[in-house]
Amino acid sequence: MSVTFESLRAGDSIDGPIFPVSRESIRLFCDASLDYNPLHLDDEYMEGNFGKTHFGGIIMHGMNNFGLISRMITDWAYAAGAIHRRLETRWIKPVRPGDTIQPVGTVRSKQTTAKSHWVLIDVTVCNQTGEKVASGEAMVEFPAT
Amino acid sequence: MGQTEGFETDFWKHADLRKVWDDIVPGEPRKTIPYTLTREAIELYCASVGEDHPIYFDEEYAKRTIYGGLIAPPSIHILLMFACTPADDWMRSPGTVNAGQSWSYNIPARPGDVITLQARALDKFIRRERLFVVHDNVFFNQQGQVICSGRGWTIRPQ
Repeated sequence: MSVTFESLRAGDSIDGPIFPVSRESIRLFCDASLDYNPLHLDDEYMEGNFGKTHFGGIIMHGMNNFGLISRMITDWAYAAGAIHRRLETRWIKPVRPGDTIQPVGTVRSKQTTAKSHWVLIDVTVCNQTGEKVASGEAMVEFPAT
Repeated sequence: MGQTEGFETDFWKHADLRKVWDDIVPGEPRKTIPYTLTREAIELYCASVGEDHPIYFDEEYAKRTIYGGLIAPPSIHILLMFACTPADDWMRSPGTVNAGQSWSYNIPARPGDVITLQARALDKFIRRERLFVVHDNVFFNQQGQVICSGRGWTIRPQ
């Protein structure tokens, strides 16, 4: 069933991809993003403290969450003839090798403006134990036809 | 990985050339470099997050869509951020922690685009003993059209 602006309701959900995180997936993200910050590569460095924060080992890039959420939103929007217009995210907990994460979206509201239609979507990313690791909101445009 | 040719992957190198939080002047433009986005770079990025939509890979399919050709995923700015900044940019300071981001998308980036970045720190502040910088970034294509614009919050290493 294809999604239309008219048929969407607050509370409708969007399932994102299930993503297993490994040292290899993090390394691939380094190569793909050119972000070689030692936070994502160097276990010895990560034994240190960062101000008040102690990670105790390498962590996944926060932007890897962002990329997965974006993938969920675009795949959903393309199928509906809609356009992914905005994504805002906050990181809540570090993600480590061995974790499995999944973004999920929930339609919060719809709005019609002078020239277009908009859907606001709350997004969360949870790990395998159901802990929220990232949250945010997206805005998708359904162009007026 | 063709993408990393000439790119210094050891972020400790040049670390002493980079600005620390105290040196960063909000409002001051950052030095940036144009970057030609290739199909290979897009495909590598797609592989890293599992993007598999044909609009990024299948030219014939892409031609029949409203985009009229291959595009990059909107989140390609994750790569562009590092591709368009030089080795002494403070984004690369080891220990930089990303605290959150917001991005608005205008038109897609496409393979072959020569992309430029206008970037600056917009603000800096201290909260709970942590040193924050607010980043302000806009990416343009070779026609001067805005691809996307974003704001980021990072915690600077001390």
